[in-house]
Amino acid sequence: MERAEIGYKKPLLSPLDLSVRSGERLAVLGPNGGGKSALLKSLIGLLPLLSGRRVFPSGRIPRTGYVPQAHRVDSVYPLTSLQVVLQGRYGLIGLGRFPKGPDFRAAFAQLEKVGMAELAGAAFRSLSGGQRQRILLARALCGEPELLVLDEFTSDMDPVASAALLAEVAQLADLEKVSVILVTHEISSAAIYSNQVVMMDARRGVFEAGSTEQLLTAEQLSRLYGQTVSVERRGDRTVVFVESGRPR
Amino acid sequence: MREPINLADFWALFGNSIVAALLAAVLCGYLGFFVVLRRLAFVSAALGQLAGLGVAFGFFLGSYFGLDPHAPTPIYLDPVVLALVMAGIVSAALGYVSRIERTTPESVVAFAYLASTATAIILLASPRIVQEAHEVGDLLFGNAVAIRREHFVELAAVTLAVLASHAFLFKDLLFVSFDREMAQAVGLPVAKLDLLLHVSVGISVAVATRAIGALPVFGFLVLPAGAALLASDSVRGVLALSIGGAILAAGAGFYLSFVQSWPTGPLMVACAAVYWPLAALYRIVRRS
Repeated sequence: MERAEIGYKKPLLSPLDLSVRSGERLAVLGPNGGGKSALLKSLIGLLPLLSGRRVFPSGRIPRTGYVPQAHRVDSVYPLTSLQVVLQGRYGLIGLGRFPKGPDFRAAFAQLEKVGMAELAGAAFRSLSGGQRQRILLARALCGEPELLVLDEFTSDMDPVASAALLAEVAQLADLEKVSVILVTHEISSAAIYSNQVVMMDARRGVFEAGSTEQLLTAEQLSRLYGQTVSVERRGDRTVVFVESGRPR
Repeated sequence: MREPINLADFWALFGNSIVAALLAAVLCGYLGFFVVLRRLAFVSAALGQLAGLGVAFGFFLGSYFGLDPHAPTPIYLDPVVLALVMAGIVSAALGYVSRIERTTPESVVAFAYLASTATAIILLASPRIVQEAHEVGDLLFGNAVAIRREHFVELAAVTLAVLASHAFLFKDLLFVSFDREMAQAVGLPVAKLDLLLHVSVGISVAVATRAIGALPVFGFLVLPAGAALLASDSVRGVLALSIGGAILAAGAGFYLSFVQSWPTGPLMVACAAVYWPLAALYRIVRRS
């Protein structure tokens, strides 16, 4: 994005520049209400820019897979897991055309990758929160995305399941050479699975982008969240401690 | 005492109306799938009232131009055309109004329902359209036994057009309804698909209301689909149960009306209303 003003009616921040390169994994961090989802939607074109522009070096909009927060998907619909995963290919299949053999094979392959092949015929609405998120991840991957966008997609999951799924995403992204944008509140996960970070809080006009090593420091995080944050490196892991009490 | 009527005479008198009710059942039973899933149930009720207002307004305008309500009218004064236009515009607008800040969808639907009902009642009180008041009253509260040939043809044409266009776009319409943001992210034209769905519902409700009345149309749109969603876990199952249930309710309503001489429209709705408790019971039994 070049000189982009993001927001729903009024700009949330002054014009910003942000690039996501091929194969990059970008984590977006910030407090609630800080404009992370608006940034995400602006990046992938769900929210029109108020000014500025989106530039695509390849000359076309990249194929995008999007995994929303769990509660944003309506669970009343009588769809099977396979039908949900197939939706990821509708952009490739085209309007008014029907899925064919290769589309079904691609959907099954993605279900296998996320460990859900046995539940292909199960009703999506009958699955647990974690299982649904796996299905939505398979759907995002099924459209052969060049850009994978994950909006707090592990927020409804327990820490073990969340860590396992994030590791799988990183592995799949490396395997398929997919760029990933990850909105998360889990700073440790951002430290492990991203190589670029955006820190933002639109209410205080904060927007910084840089490498994970450069930005994920105690000083930067303390400033972002308005609270004392300590960061410790333990081997290849990063552990984050947040002081209790009111934010400054 | 009422003269007994045999089945052949009944078919000769009401054959067109029965076929129209079955067509409306197919159309509404199908659209009910989206109406219920997208929480548009009361939108369909408001559209039925709007269609009634359109017809009343058409008669009212016609009275100023000295038109005979039962003779051919210019297209811009035709009550059905006005009903179609009103329902089409409002159904398309409702898709956008809900995105306005500090506006809840329920309050907008309630506004459309109340404003159109009140205006229709005021128009019907006018001495200019006393003769037509009964016809509009039938329309609003349901009288499925008297249908004109042109209304039958309109209903058949709209049923065919909606089902044909949706047959091609069903998977896309379902995707947009299920997850609008992902559908947009993969490049589907979500605003156009939303518009198609809203206009399909608006026009279908207007034409079906003119043919069989607002009450049966509202009933066919909501009751079979609501029950089908409880009873089945597959899209095909829900569609089959919803359309089949609406057809069965229409047929049973006409049969009971023939046997008991009770009003047809409310009987069709009463038959459709049986499905929901049955489906809930089936679900409880299946779970236990």
